[in-house]
Amino acid sequence: MPIKTSDQPFTTRLKESEADKFMQRAVAKAQDAQWDKRTASREDLGNWPEWRELGEQIRQHVIRYLPDYLERFGDNVEARGGHVFFASTDEEASAYIQKIAVDLDAHHIVKSKSVVTTEIDLDQKLLELPDRTLLESDLAEFILQEDDFDEPTHIVFPTLHKNRDQIQTIFEKIGYTGSNDPQEMARFARKYLRASFLEADMGITGCNFAVAENGLINLVTNEGNADLVMAIPKTQVVVMGMERLVPTMQEAAVLDTMLARSAVGQRMTSYATFCGPAMPDEIDGPENFYVVILDNGRSNALGGQFEQVLQCIRCGACLNVCPVYRHIGGHGYGSIYPGPIGAVLSPVLRGYEQFGDLPFASSLCGACSETCPVKILLHELLIKHRAVMNDRLKLDHSFNNTVMHGIGMATGTPPMFRMALDVDHAMSGAMVKHDAPTVENFSNHNGYFIHAPGMAKGWTDSRDLPRPPKHKENFRSWFKHHQEASHD
Amino acid sequence: MTEREVFLNHLAEASGRARHQLVDHPFAPINALPATTLSDLSAEELLDLAQNRSVDLQVDFQVTPQKKLPQVLNAWLKAQNAQNILLPTDPRLSEYGLDQWLAHLSPTPRFWQPNAGRATNLDAASHADAAISVGDYLLAESGTLTVATTRGQGRAFHFLPTHYLSIIPRSHVVPRSYQAMQAYRQALQNGTLQTSNINFISGPSNSGDIEMVLIVGVHGPLTVSYVVIDDA
Amino acid sequence: MKVAIFSTCIMDLLFPNVGIAMVEVLERFGCDTAMPVKQICCGQPTYNSGYIKDTQKVMHNEIDALLSVDADYIVGPAGSCVAMLKEYPHHLALDPQYADKAQILTDKTYEFSQFVYRVLHVENAGAELNATATYHRSCHMTRLLGERTSPFELLKHVHGLTMIPLPHLENCCGFGGMFSVKEPEISRQMVDEKVDSVLSTEAEVLISCDQACLMNIAGRFNRRGEKIKIMHLAEVLNSNVDPARITYNTDAALVAGGGTYADQNI
Repeated sequence: MPIKTSDQPFTTRLKESEADKFMQRAVAKAQDAQWDKRTASREDLGNWPEWRELGEQIRQHVIRYLPDYLERFGDNVEARGGHVFFASTDEEASAYIQKIAVDLDAHHIVKSKSVVTTEIDLDQKLLELPDRTLLESDLAEFILQEDDFDEPTHIVFPTLHKNRDQIQTIFEKIGYTGSNDPQEMARFARKYLRASFLEADMGITGCNFAVAENGLINLVTNEGNADLVMAIPKTQVVVMGMERLVPTMQEAAVLDTMLARSAVGQRMTSYATFCGPAMPDEIDGPENFYVVILDNGRSNALGGQFEQVLQCIRCGACLNVCPVYRHIGGHGYGSIYPGPIGAVLSPVLRGYEQFGDLPFASSLCGACSETCPVKILLHELLIKHRAVMNDRLKLDHSFNNTVMHGIGMATGTPPMFRMALDVDHAMSGAMVKHDAPTVENFSNHNGYFIHAPGMAKGWTDSRDLPRPPKHKENFRSWFKHHQEASHD
Repeated sequence: MTEREVFLNHLAEASGRARHQLVDHPFAPINALPATTLSDLSAEELLDLAQNRSVDLQVDFQVTPQKKLPQVLNAWLKAQNAQNILLPTDPRLSEYGLDQWLAHLSPTPRFWQPNAGRATNLDAASHADAAISVGDYLLAESGTLTVATTRGQGRAFHFLPTHYLSIIPRSHVVPRSYQAMQAYRQALQNGTLQTSNINFISGPSNSGDIEMVLIVGVHGPLTVSYVVIDDA
Repeated sequence: MKVAIFSTCIMDLLFPNVGIAMVEVLERFGCDTAMPVKQICCGQPTYNSGYIKDTQKVMHNEIDALLSVDADYIVGPAGSCVAMLKEYPHHLALDPQYADKAQILTDKTYEFSQFVYRVLHVENAGAELNATATYHRSCHMTRLLGERTSPFELLKHVHGLTMIPLPHLENCCGFGGMFSVKEPEISRQMVDEKVDSVLSTEAEVLISCDQACLMNIAGRFNRRGEKIKIMHLAEVLNSNVDPARITYNTDAALVAGGGTYADQNI
């Protein structure tokens, strides 16, 4: 699938998410568990604010000198005997990899988890070729593949929306006869996939960080599947977003530990590997080594107000703290990049036509900005997207847009605001419910609203609204009397 | 102009920044935390930390004097009920005084052989139920073993076997990744190490992909042991 | 010392009880209060919705209004709105007429609990409230203003009050300003979870330093027919005060937290 995962309108996706109670419970449980693990692992490292500064600096420096680092990296990959292809679009990238499979007559392809290969729809493109097998080897990606390439819902935990019974049913289609015990199912996957590894002639991986100083690819996993993909097939293709560079292995190690702590609350992932094409006298590892460096819209962010988004190291912590993601899940966003980072990144990559709803799907609570290990101010970037849509592109021609300009006028013009203060108690009388509220000290002025017109309807659809006080009872009137009294 | 030049020029243009400025602005880290963190530990504290952090990862951790190393290895092999043993072709086995042990090892182990080709070695590794490797460094902070691929100890050596043990000299227990990276970078630069692959291994393979329940042992080894030779 | 009241539009429009309590508490501790009448709103409704241009005149008006009174401090009853004022220097950095004024404004602006705890050094405000209560921590006060301590310290010393920790303290209540009306489906689910969390504490009173969050949570409570009492911290500190109970904190390290959000470790 490309970046967009759904043709349903945003409101429909929200309804589907709300109906999926299992998903909501699973996400909430995952968020809560990760909250404790993440916090503990950061405290255990110590000096987390300073580590964040270092992480931010590394990423900003690389973005600042990106063409130079790409050049250095490319030269070093080639010096090791590898090939580098610069792809401007998803189609260029997948066509190039198709051609490798054809030219090298590779038929059995194994992959390790890579969101960027999902971004370029690589699985489908390779399966279009005749007589090919392709297996996703990450447990979660394997589950999604065997479920007819279901969409992922999280960049670190792609199957967060599936429960063990659903997974059991999926595995039964490929011969599983055991129980719904996660351990037993994982052992089944191990055995099933091990056979495929041993006959694979082409491996495909993503790339967490690409080391400019020596042309090595840094990959982190917990399962060990990526290492088998890098060890066994004679051909390895690495697909990476163009911003994944680091100067040296030292900076990769810094980001690896920050990534592990932020993503899963581990000090390090079980495996963190630096790899390139096999040396002539080494026994295993790829003899043919290709790196595909992908733009695919990323350069839209360069030099502009969204450049920060390229700092992202794909830890998923912003998803794990997001109260909106908690309820709407990955599918609600309709992008392979969900959550706060997805709401910022997806419109940068593919524009507002496809993803204009996402920047508004945030209460701007700032939990994402607070947790981001490389200090991306995500909630600010969401506001910037809103500003581009409203102020510059004038995309919103709705009634709400008119109202918002009106609010701007009213909150910027004292006489208009004073008028509002004066009239609203009286004006509102007709819409007021006079029953005693169940909440004490909520609406102290003779009733509350259960219906309201216009934009406020969004409020009263699910909440009651306090009734404003009479003019003589409002704060300003009180203060005036209070002051006069104290000056007497 | 090559496709690469077109691509890189586009990035420079989009960012509004000229190319080839890096040479005058090399990366200079804002702080020295990677080097200073845990650098003040004593040798005892370092080993304790390495042990605690390894145990956190469900790693079986042992410290042994070199003369008792054969006994430790035998006990481990026995515990795994090892029938197919995989060993590296590596001079460090001799350095650790294991020649005699090797000569009498039963069942007869298979070796990762520099001259035997891919199929033979992958076959040996995939059939191995117990592999004993020689590790380069042990990172105390994270209980992480590091190994660089060599002709005699390939990539799959560390991933295909069912149970895995690695031997590390105590002098190679370092605070964290920084020290190991410095050593690797230096060795790569001065040519004493030639490798295409460096693995950082922190315990057995695992996954939380099914309902975030931690499963130990997915694609890599099901169990991992570290044996530190007390050479201090 | 003279304190200008930053009333905030929500309090002005709907909650005189909060403003009255705040003024009475401040005056109890010797502040001479003033109410700059031309002030309206910090500008978040339009700014956060992405109407940046429309927000310029809102911010200009607020700066002119709040600086029109020659006060030592400006104090407001809402962490979120105060955080917005503290972002003015950032938003108006390139505004030749207002950049400097924005900095002057920011330097003397405090959220109510911050001011009482960090500037007035009050430890025990002398209040009494015989109740069990829980506290809702607003996102902007916590993360943008960076104030995580003051309200809890002040509540600790309220006579008769038993505080119960709120589960999922870190999660937003779903208000988010215009978010609550623009994305009502998501907002409702968020506030429902918050209501459930509050109910699970079995607290009689829900306290916060952000009246807008309280309005949101209480609005949902009321719609669901659930019982609770909401109180702004100022109302709690103004309850049944016995001056004999008042104590001050002598810790000189209680530096007034006057930084902008950019300095905060978010």
